[in-house]
Amino acid sequence: MKVFKKFTVTALTAVIAVTASFAGVAAAADSLKGKITVNGSTALLPLTLQAAKEFQKLHPKVKIAASGKGSVTGPQAVKKGIADIGACDWDASMDVPGFKAFEGQVANKVAVIPFATIVNKNVGVDNLTTEQLKGIYSGKITNWKEVGGSDADIVVITRSFGSGTRVNYQAKALAGGDIVKKEKNYKETGSSGDMKTAVGTTPNAIGYIDLVYVTGGDIKAVKYNGVAASTDNVINGSYKIWAYGYYMTKGQPTGATKEFINYVQSKKFQQGSLKKLKFIPISAMQ
Amino acid sequence: MGAPVHNLATTIMDSTSKKEISAQRRHKRHRVSNVFFKYYFLFSILALCFVLGLVFIFIGKTALLLFGQISPADFFLSFNWTPEEDAFGAAAFIVNTLSLTALTLLIAVPISVGMAVLNAEIAPKWMTSFIRPILDLLVGIPSIVYGYLGLTVLLPFLRRVSGESLGDGLLAAALVLALMVLPTITRISDDAIVAVPRKYRDAAYALGSTRLQVITRVVLPAASRGVISAVILGMTRAVGETMAVVMVIGNTPQLAKSLFTPTSVLTSNIVMQISNVEYESTWNYALHMMAFLLLLISFVLILIIRILGRKRRDQA
Repeated sequence: MKVFKKFTVTALTAVIAVTASFAGVAAAADSLKGKITVNGSTALLPLTLQAAKEFQKLHPKVKIAASGKGSVTGPQAVKKGIADIGACDWDASMDVPGFKAFEGQVANKVAVIPFATIVNKNVGVDNLTTEQLKGIYSGKITNWKEVGGSDADIVVITRSFGSGTRVNYQAKALAGGDIVKKEKNYKETGSSGDMKTAVGTTPNAIGYIDLVYVTGGDIKAVKYNGVAASTDNVINGSYKIWAYGYYMTKGQPTGATKEFINYVQSKKFQQGSLKKLKFIPISAMQ
Repeated sequence: MGAPVHNLATTIMDSTSKKEISAQRRHKRHRVSNVFFKYYFLFSILALCFVLGLVFIFIGKTALLLFGQISPADFFLSFNWTPEEDAFGAAAFIVNTLSLTALTLLIAVPISVGMAVLNAEIAPKWMTSFIRPILDLLVGIPSIVYGYLGLTVLLPFLRRVSGESLGDGLLAAALVLALMVLPTITRISDDAIVAVPRKYRDAAYALGSTRLQVITRVVLPAASRGVISAVILGMTRAVGETMAVVMVIGNTPQLAKSLFTPTSVLTSNIVMQISNVEYESTWNYALHMMAFLLLLISFVLILIIRILGRKRRDQA
């Protein structure tokens, strides 16, 4: 008992000493301090986490807490004052199908996210036009032979309503066209990972996903109006299915939040870590 | 001469009084620790009740906001769930949840009761001591693992057998769930059957019954309450299971008209949509109401188990 007590005391002292020394180092660094909370899109989370890690090295007194859920939770958390930054896959200061604009919020572009139409590896079709995609997702085209493939039912796999990927895909790839649910050969998935597994394991399936997820042999990206889905084609303007990722803030950002957004938008981060994470720098599109 | 004697006397007196004092102290210490632990245990149980109460209050509070925006009839009787057009009919989910549970039990109960009888009555000892730990292991497998197996093994198999091109639906979900509740129902029925007094069997054999007659006419009826609680316990798991179901049911908010219609139940619809809704919206309230319904369903089921258990005790 006594030995244990002694041990506990020693351990506690050690922990306190270590913490204190760290705090001492931090105090010496710089004056920028504060706490930044980032909520919202899971698609942008890897980018936020990487940026937070680098930013905290530069400004040790700034604490950044980031978490990911659905896109819409980002601007909502900002509206409620829970978060300083709401990561969102669409510009939440404007109306999009299904979601009203968030009044008084400012959308800060942080990255370009490309999306791809994907099919199971057994599908022979390698190009689809806007009209063909609209037909498939609205349920008018139900067999692959109608779009130049073999005679097999098309299995439509989509994200559930409210997903940021779905909002963007509907707006860009389907030119605002509807996704209609069907009693057969139609399935909804809850995340990009599920989408990849579902399309990869279901023969004759079609779906859509962030371009970074298109890896491995079970799924393949199809061309959109004859243009291959690649970052190069997004940058040269020929591939149209992409969207900006946004950091929503209540009014113009200030203080540590402003510095953080500036860091994410800086050339160093955009050309370095952001590119490594397979996003496209916003400067490439301007 | 007087002084040493006096000294000795004091020493003896001192030591006895010291003993008394230390005994008193020990007594006091024990009393304090008893009181302390009494309150600690009381606090523990109260904390649990408090959390349970909070769950009810918070889910219920948000859920009831729903009926300020749409009528209960719209929610409970309409089959149209289209949040983007402000249609929040949950009837399809409720019916689907009930039919999925029924289908699951239809598959799982005969098999598990059969396994329980085998374990308790027929199998030799070495076999039971082998089967029981395996069933316990099966109970502990995380549901996501079952779901993943459903997605990668069961669905392709169902596609090949049925000729469907998707395979997701009630049948796939019921098969996965049946596998999940099977060990639970088996182990609890097994215990109930073992608990049937030996004299019942002896009496039945003495009257000239065959083993099958003993099992079906004496042992199973005597253990029926225990078997029913086992089934209800399996049912609560089937009603509330989420992850495994989400992966194989197709997640499309519509009534399941066939075994292979991609569809959605209360749990799977909540988990699919909750991260994509706005806090203060009819949609969010409707999802909370669905969660509240699940809470009520499992509460009622557990209540039934308790009542059955009490009756059995009274009879014994």
